[in-house]
Amino acid sequence: MSGMDMLRDAAALAPSPVLECDAVTRMYGERIGCRNVGFRLWPGEVLGIVGESGSGKSTLLRCLAGLDAPTSGRVIFQDEDGAVDVHALPEPRRRALMRRALGIVHQNPRDGLRMDVSAGGNVGERLMDRGERHYGRIRDVAVDWLRRVEISPERMDDLPRHFSGGMQQRLQIARVLVSGPRLVFMDEPTGGLDVSVQAKLLDLLRNLVRDLDIAAVIVTHDLAVARLLTDRLMVMKDGHVVEQGLTDQVLDDPQHAYTQLLTSAVLV
Amino acid sequence: MTDLVRVNSVAKEFVLHNQGGARLAVLDHVSFAVKAGECLVLHGPSGAGKSTLLRLLYGNYKCTQGEILVRHHDRFVDIASADPREVLEVRRLTLSYVSQFLRVIPRVSALDIVAAPLIARGVDFSTAQKRAQDMLARLNIPQRLWALAPATFSGGEQQRVNIARSFIAITPVMLLDEPTASLDAQNRDVVISLIDEARRAGSALVGIFHDETVRERAATRWIDIHSFTAAEAA
Repeated sequence: MSGMDMLRDAAALAPSPVLECDAVTRMYGERIGCRNVGFRLWPGEVLGIVGESGSGKSTLLRCLAGLDAPTSGRVIFQDEDGAVDVHALPEPRRRALMRRALGIVHQNPRDGLRMDVSAGGNVGERLMDRGERHYGRIRDVAVDWLRRVEISPERMDDLPRHFSGGMQQRLQIARVLVSGPRLVFMDEPTGGLDVSVQAKLLDLLRNLVRDLDIAAVIVTHDLAVARLLTDRLMVMKDGHVVEQGLTDQVLDDPQHAYTQLLTSAVLV
Repeated sequence: MTDLVRVNSVAKEFVLHNQGGARLAVLDHVSFAVKAGECLVLHGPSGAGKSTLLRLLYGNYKCTQGEILVRHHDRFVDIASADPREVLEVRRLTLSYVSQFLRVIPRVSALDIVAAPLIARGVDFSTAQKRAQDMLARLNIPQRLWALAPATFSGGEQQRVNIARSFIAITPVMLLDEPTASLDAQNRDVVISLIDEARRAGSALVGIFHDETVRERAATRWIDIHSFTAAEAA
């Protein structure tokens, strides 16, 4: 059965989806990145996107996260004061929205961290972006977040380049979550880590998503990660969504030929 | 008594696309209802579709045809057609699945695993921990194991942790997939009392039990799965 089903408040009471993806297509010239993708995501839900490399999952994630504009279709985000069409916003407002309400955890921590700034600085900087100026408070919050991602406050002044891969990834997660995003995007968050380190990180992510009641979209090629972290799953192939549904249902009773192939190749 | 589950004309066929599109018809014309306070036992040899039916009821398998109505608060939700978000909400509060296998979550202690369903329902941390301790003790899990993650526990211990977790928050509809398989007599008796308590509290239970003693003691009604087995499979 699904990993998180019993563990979190489902979002049944939320009146509107936090994210709505409406017929999103992204072309690279003649080549399809992703085509005609549609779904809704409610607060507290975790959606997984699985498929092999080249299936369009990262392309889709970049469109959803506001990084790349779709060729056609819309990405609607439910902001505090109403729905906004993310890619129709003027550039500065979109940037502001992404900083304030969206978070992106990159596969490679180096893409999400500033490697020449201390661990504490990486976390505290995001608070300063939000207007916090009181040094003592920034430091306290940074210490608290390092603890939450299980980094000793003694390492606060060290540079991330001296951290292990797993620690860098945890630091990146702290940097993303400290600013209190309502929606987080993760691209292969456990890729490139040892299996034991992955387990620790997955447990941490599971708890953070539950405790903060945020919505998340997780791209992964690892079905075990999808089983543990996600409520719903979308399976992509050649830029198309071939199947979507409850995570445990898609994995245990796959309907599409491609999903059957994917799930028969590994034990999940 | 009220029906908590109504199954109407359900059929299940598996299509194996990567094996030449082979079709496996497993169940057909499945219709029955389960009332509050009943423990309905699915009876039949292995391979006849008992587990498949239980998984259909949970929404873990997709129905080829028909509807599965589960009473959630004051209305029926069709598990076969509801969107994932609704199924998750029904599972959180109304519908649970008890198997003999614990899905081990890395690094999470037995105590936290057992307490989790209560916390998800908004019970405060210390009450949830206390009740989790009571459940673990009742299922004879030694206290020295409570703070450890069950990855290293024996199969039987993991199974009992899973039962503790499953029965700590009784839901109106409970699906039991061989929960007593390979338990010793003492622990088997504990599970039978847990089932009885759930039933008396007004839950509707649907179960598969390999063990004849358990079957006879727990069941209030039986259904022979053969009456639903698809013609080709029979």
